[in-house]
Amino acid sequence: MNRRRFLGVSAASALAGLTGSARGASANAAVDLLTLAQPDLLPLIGPQAVRKIGLRYRALVPSENDVHALYAAILAARPWPPSIAGLVEQDFAVGRTMVLQGWVVSVTEARQSALFSLLSD
Amino acid sequence: MHIDARTLPNGSVLEADLCIVGAGAAGISMALEWIGSRHKVLLLEGGGLDYEAAMQDLYRGESVGLPYYPLQAARLHYFGGTTGHWAGFCSTLDPIDFEKRAWVPHSGWPIRREELDPFYARAQPLLELGPYEYGAGDWQRRDPTLIPLPLDPRVMWTKMWQFSPPTRFGARYRPAVIGAPNVHLYTHANVCELEPNESLRSIEGLRVRTLDGKEHRALARHYVLACCSIQNARLLLASNRRTPTGLGNAYDLVGRFFMEHIEMPGGHLALAPSRAMNTKMYAMEFGQTKARGELALSAAVQRERRILNGTVSLEPGAPDEVAKSTFEWATPELLAAFREWEAHGRTGPPPAGLPAPPPPGSPLFFHLVTRQEQAPNPDSRVLLSTERDALGMPRAKLDWRLTALERRSFRVRYEVMGRELGRSGAGRVQLLDWVTRDEDTWPSTLSGGWHHMGTTRMHENPRLGVVDANCRVHGLGNLYVAGASVYPTGGAANPTLTLVAVSLRLSDHLKRTLG
Repeated sequence: MNRRRFLGVSAASALAGLTGSARGASANAAVDLLTLAQPDLLPLIGPQAVRKIGLRYRALVPSENDVHALYAAILAARPWPPSIAGLVEQDFAVGRTMVLQGWVVSVTEARQSALFSLLSD
Repeated sequence: MHIDARTLPNGSVLEADLCIVGAGAAGISMALEWIGSRHKVLLLEGGGLDYEAAMQDLYRGESVGLPYYPLQAARLHYFGGTTGHWAGFCSTLDPIDFEKRAWVPHSGWPIRREELDPFYARAQPLLELGPYEYGAGDWQRRDPTLIPLPLDPRVMWTKMWQFSPPTRFGARYRPAVIGAPNVHLYTHANVCELEPNESLRSIEGLRVRTLDGKEHRALARHYVLACCSIQNARLLLASNRRTPTGLGNAYDLVGRFFMEHIEMPGGHLALAPSRAMNTKMYAMEFGQTKARGELALSAAVQRERRILNGTVSLEPGAPDEVAKSTFEWATPELLAAFREWEAHGRTGPPPAGLPAPPPPGSPLFFHLVTRQEQAPNPDSRVLLSTERDALGMPRAKLDWRLTALERRSFRVRYEVMGRELGRSGAGRVQLLDWVTRDEDTWPSTLSGGWHHMGTTRMHENPRLGVVDANCRVHGLGNLYVAGASVYPTGGAANPTLTLVAVSLRLSDHLKRTLG
């Protein structure tokens, strides 16, 4: 099973388990989990580094150590920018960043990486 | 004219209007200014016209502080000085470097950057550089393919460097100096002591020794020490026959505030593919590139975050590579091999170990290599060793020290860069593991850039500086210092361009003084 297909299957399983509250917390429930779990970091630094960033985030923020919480946290952003990329840019602009595994990433990217790591575990 | 001091009868007396001690970038730049004047100039060089191991050994010394490069390999002791193996990196200090910064103890020059501008412009041709233009936009206009990253200037900017060929002052200016009737170059003429008058208000003469046991005296109306930061301090401290603490040292400042540039990798940049075509601005190929940019934080960010100045260069690499610091890759053996290769006209393959030229195409991954200033620190200093060299002069002892401010600045620089490069979409920055740790210690790869500065710092108050704004040693009417030892702070730029500019400024001052 290639990585994308694997992620797709995992995401479908995870989405099936999403609670109503997590979906309800988002103004954009249409944003699918698979998209969220594919940070723009991936083509820059590769899946291994993204996974490590995700694992580190989950260790540092145990309250978000599950798919539902991460999904809700990412989509809780207000005002909602036109895209995930816009959300990441907004994070950087206001200094909402973290240093994980040495990488300076936006908090959204960190959560996306955590999702990536959960779905690829 | 040129005379080998070893050929003079023992006890010779050399007389002139102006005596310059040391024929490196500072000394030669000054001497060239006096060619054709009605004044007689002595230019005393301790080494010969070319490299000699016995002369180089006079620069050997102890290092008792943070690990440092072997002193005898960090500087060159012959006509042309350390330009004999420098890499030619030139840039100006920034206006903020001249300011008194509340968060940087002992910062502030008694002159402003604008006062140096005309001397920077005059220094450019001496170093065989391009026009006096250091704006990224200036170079982009010259070459539209040089495109700076789209940075918010309130946060970051592209600071430009120009590259000297590099000018080997010894080879380049030997004919002009030797051919000048009024400039008398003496080689193998090691100044071992400055002799003050009875009142300790001026210098009467210099003791000059040769390795074959001769001793001469040099007499002049005015004297300029242009021997490099460690040797300038060493000579003042060792001139302690009449005053035990040495000359110019009434307030125990000589040798203190030794500074380097912290020059080592600090992280990585994974460039966004869309930016990959635009990195020519930041690329450098030795001997080919005329100018390139490095990444720097704005003065506003430095103020807000209370950090030191610095820049970061982009060196193409691979994610699984570990970049080496300057002291790691440029071993004394490699420098010696490089100097030999150059001495033979660069014939044959270059010595193994030199940085490789940039790979073809557009790299996506870079090592980020820092060049950061060191905060002026009185405990970072040059002292005299108990060991003596072959001329009987105490050797230098270096106690290099850094503070928590350098360490914090290093980390903050990368965090801010990471945010701005992320915001701009240029890419993502990774800090090296040691950079992320909240510690004051440095890794074993700690490195300077052989940029010795600050041991005779400039300040209008004699209690706070060794020389005044005109580079005159406080309390001594006819003794001056040229070179990077007068820098109160070192900024991020390699010191050579500024030291030549400061030397030209001193030369103008002396012309007015001598009339």
